[in-house]
Amino acid sequence: MRRIVITGMGAICALGHDAPSVWKAMTEGRSGIGPIHHIQPGQLRNGGIAAEVVDYDPANFFDEARRALLDTFSEYALIAANEAIRQSGIRFEGELGQRTAVVIGTGVGGETTRDDLYERLYGEHQGRFHPLGIVRMMMNAPASQVSMVHGITGPSFVVASACASSNHAFAQAAMMIRTGLVDAAVVGGTEACITLGTLRAWEAMRVLAPDTCRPFSQGRRGLVLGEGAAMYVIETLESARQRGAEIICELVGTGMSSDAGDIAAPSDIGAAAAMNMALRDGGLSPGDVDYVNAHGTGTVANDSTETKAIHRVFGAHARELAISSTKPMHGHALGAGGALELIAAIGAIHDGIVPPTLNYLGPDPACDLDYVPNEAREMKVNAAISNSFAFGGLNAVVAVRRAP
Amino acid sequence: MPRHLAAKEFRKADMSNVQQETFDIIAKQAKIDIETIKPESTLKDLGIASLDAIEVIFDIEEHFNINLPNEDTDFDNGTVSQLVDAIERQLAQKSTEG
Repeated sequence: MRRIVITGMGAICALGHDAPSVWKAMTEGRSGIGPIHHIQPGQLRNGGIAAEVVDYDPANFFDEARRALLDTFSEYALIAANEAIRQSGIRFEGELGQRTAVVIGTGVGGETTRDDLYERLYGEHQGRFHPLGIVRMMMNAPASQVSMVHGITGPSFVVASACASSNHAFAQAAMMIRTGLVDAAVVGGTEACITLGTLRAWEAMRVLAPDTCRPFSQGRRGLVLGEGAAMYVIETLESARQRGAEIICELVGTGMSSDAGDIAAPSDIGAAAAMNMALRDGGLSPGDVDYVNAHGTGTVANDSTETKAIHRVFGAHARELAISSTKPMHGHALGAGGALELIAAIGAIHDGIVPPTLNYLGPDPACDLDYVPNEAREMKVNAAISNSFAFGGLNAVVAVRRAP
Repeated sequence: MPRHLAAKEFRKADMSNVQQETFDIIAKQAKIDIETIKPESTLKDLGIASLDAIEVIFDIEEHFNINLPNEDTDFDNGTVSQLVDAIERQLAQKSTEG
């Protein structure tokens, strides 16, 4: 079977505008959660907090002609993809352009554009829509933009499975490389969901925390939304070695499952199935795993269910695992979540630092494992998994290992 | 259309109506006989979990035209009578503000 390695990584989120800044913030345990800037105060019940991208001006990244085509979720995807491609040194010339895929996970798509257009239509009763509305808001826009900017002519598409979108995207890209359909992929996830419409809809589900995000902790009150993107260049081990590229780590396996149960309530059986499949797919035994980047949303239901699932999969080894949720730092970035969180798993392997679970107040009896509370930990990590579990019962897990 | 209880019509004497109307909403959403709802039942006891519970709260908010804070909607431990108290508090507040 063809082995797959990661040779480029890019990111933008509340923690910074490139992957090294994001990773540095994770090791420092810095939180990007704060009052929402781009929604007028008083329009949200809980006052409104999120992990927003700050000090961001698209003009610093794109010329005017390109910007006209871009919703924020495509901007984030392009910024992260450009960084990843630059780092990997890969060039999509000739046949490699055809033998490269672009697969991007996104949950809600071009919400900023949609909100603005509907504000005009329903709020201001203005009939005239901007002609570029569709090409900005369509779900596939980020994949199309990355393919266009970089001349990638292989299969390009977007994967949508809410909060598991990124991890489903990794799984699709890995399968295409393994079967020989392509030799490389630009893959990850993007989301720009901090709009009034999205926030109000989440608020109505009563899962948004009024205070902050404190996964696995006593007194946790819900999730805090975030936004951003993370993108990667993945390719065969053979092609990376031929190019003399620096290998960041190996993507060894992916696992996917569906709860086929409740539309919102999570299932430990479904989550465990995805983790087991990722381990099996990656040829890892539970004892090989040192770090779990948890889905860890900070809701009562997710964190206790995920803990149960980890017990199911890892047995006695569950107590040996370092488990953390980085969502108190970058927020719950929905379709970009898995991609942003893979930075934590990769960084842990690469630099020997496990990012902490911030805002931890103390143990909850239903969450009885080692969540690396509040402070980063130096430890050797050879293999890690990253969990994403979506509303709708769709689960996807990615397993990574130290570079061969 | 929800039948809104106008704030100025709201008085102490209507308290039992609030309970009655709340029980009606819960019974309808949970598709259970209204007689099975006791003031000390939790929504969980009544078999109303997850999104169904959130829908019950939404229906109550729409019906009475109030906002119920998350603190007043503990589906696992909060009883129906506590929920009715919370609704009455919101209605009373609306009545003074009105």
